Amino acid sequence: MAFRTIDELDAGLREADYLPDRGLATALFLSLALEKPVLLEGEAGVGKTEAAKALSTALDARLIRLQCYEGLDVSHAVYEWNYPRQLLHIRAAQEGTVSEEELFGPEFLIRRPLLEAIDSDEQVVLLIDEIDRADEEFEAFLLEILSDFQITIPELGTIRARRKPAVVLTSNRTRELHDALKRRALFHWIGHPSLEREVEIVRLRVPGIPERLAMEAAAFVRGLRGLDLAKPPGVAETIDWAQALAALGREEIDAEVVEQTLGSVLKYREDIEMVRDETLVSLIEEARATAGKTGV
Amino acid sequence: MQGTAIVRHVVTFGRVLREVGIEVGPGRVADAMCGLNAVDLTRQEDVYFTLRQTLVSRHDELELFDRAFVAWFLRGPVAPLVRQKDRRRFADGTVRDTLESKRDEEEDVFESGDPLERGASAHELLREKDFAEMTPEEFERVRRLMAAIARTRPRRTSRRRAPDPRGDRLDLRRLCRSSLRTGGDPIEQAWKARKTVHRKLVVLCDVSGSMDAYARALLFYLHAIVGTGSGVEAFAFGTRLTRLTPDLATRDPEAALARATVATVDWGSGTRIGASLGEFNAIYGRRALSRGAVVVIVSDGWERDDPDLVGREMAKLARAAYAVVWVNPLKGNPEYQPLAGGMRAALPFVDRFLPGHNLRSLEELGAVLAGIERRHAA
Repeated sequence: MAFRTIDELDAGLREADYLPDRGLATALFLSLALEKPVLLEGEAGVGKTEAAKALSTALDARLIRLQCYEGLDVSHAVYEWNYPRQLLHIRAAQEGTVSEEELFGPEFLIRRPLLEAIDSDEQVVLLIDEIDRADEEFEAFLLEILSDFQITIPELGTIRARRKPAVVLTSNRTRELHDALKRRALFHWIGHPSLEREVEIVRLRVPGIPERLAMEAAAFVRGLRGLDLAKPPGVAETIDWAQALAALGREEIDAEVVEQTLGSVLKYREDIEMVRDETLVSLIEEARATAGKTGV
Repeated sequence: MQGTAIVRHVVTFGRVLREVGIEVGPGRVADAMCGLNAVDLTRQEDVYFTLRQTLVSRHDELELFDRAFVAWFLRGPVAPLVRQKDRRRFADGTVRDTLESKRDEEEDVFESGDPLERGASAHELLREKDFAEMTPEEFERVRRLMAAIARTRPRRTSRRRAPDPRGDRLDLRRLCRSSLRTGGDPIEQAWKARKTVHRKLVVLCDVSGSMDAYARALLFYLHAIVGTGSGVEAFAFGTRLTRLTPDLATRDPEAALARATVATVDWGSGTRIGASLGEFNAIYGRRALSRGAVVVIVSDGWERDDPDLVGREMAKLARAAYAVVWVNPLKGNPEYQPLAGGMRAALPFVDRFLPGHNLRSLEELGAVLAGIERRHAA
């Protein structure tokens, strides 16, 4: 194992431009130590997917990503046979000379992410993104792979992982996952970061941003999360917004620039309408006061 | 605290968690041990996260876990742990009693009721009878009939395809295999088509005092629907909202209703439809529970707060949902007009407006749900 302690992994993730809190660093560390998948849940935009990417960078391992969607099935997630090639092969050969073993051999196999991850000699990080979007049948299928780290292809036999991949599952919790799947994974809930950490993240991701601006932007977004919004902004939105503000050459935020750029923080019309006039002004004042207090 | 002492505590701690209602299997405890073995035991934070990540698998259990952790490992002063089982037993007991006494009253009314109706055992009559006027025996018979109605559920086309001779896509895997026999000529054709699956169904049921008899009937109906497979979510509301799905899947619906009534209704403070819908939108709507779903609201539409709030929350709900059905038992009366403020505010966002006061109207509901299409009025 590449990392002997949580601190070492934490440092590795920081080097990969990702600032984990202690809980997330512990979750990823345990996932590696126990060779168990880890399920990261949390609201959109708190950095679940990014965590897996950072882990692969820190481990210097290849990242294999499976984006889930409804209707995702074996032929898109695990493997598929290359039918056009098979048909051509039958045609090219003399009639009756093609055996079934030949036709369903490795050279006609198209490898999809899960097979790729299991059948790999090097260390890989397997990211199964937004598992809650896939349907339950697929979840059941995933169970076999995640508990035994093996895949059975009827025509070829069982392929066992020679090196267990580090598996990160993410879910936005649009539905509750199966207990059986949860039992096989460690579970970590990622909440919104503390103000200090969010400022740190913004400064890391938007190099050259004025410190005061980073602080005000983070404090403003934090204020937004306290409102009753349809879609509270995540860290990803804070970074986007800070980028926009920095690009406009701002040192601080004011009502005018916030109104111009609010679309990169809030994605729903009702939310934007809710944050207007007095609400907007008082949020800006609060954010500036917070930034002022820390003496930046 | 000594490191070895912590490890020794884990097994007992697992039992503590089980007692507060968090399911902890032996596999999880073993994971926790392995995890603790790998981290620095002198850092309390690391011990905390290791235990939490190995022993808990649901977001809504985190709070219970935190309290148990503080009480067990830190010996800190904490609010008493919620013992869910005890609370339920307690809640059931008290509410059962009130239901029981209400039934007795109903029986009295029945005894003095129309002798003609009393003598008639006809199935037809039962189908037409208002739920609120039924005796427990009649209700029991109706319950069994409901299971049949519940089998019809809205469906939608899945993204998955399955072999189907009348399909619209070639099934290449089967085609290739059959071509082996014919030297690569695809003579036997193999097709596949999109399957249909159950559409998500979300039911929000008003369980305030005025709705009591109807809510019971509807919950039995719901119980039967939940039995038809996944993708059904049920909620009860009065002054607050509570999720019923887990109760309906495992427990007796009568007990679920009793619990829901205790959890959501403040006696004498009336129904807060707008606020309850708001709670649903904020918590479950955000998790996309209502997206693409058929949402059924069962309520008489009597809003004690601000009718405008009902309208605003209905608008949000309708935008996310595939279709919204409002079931109002009062509509069973031919004289009824939707004049109550809450009902009037909600109607523009309702696709189908149905009664639901007797078995026959539930049959109608079943038929509507089975064939419902997107058809927003607003």
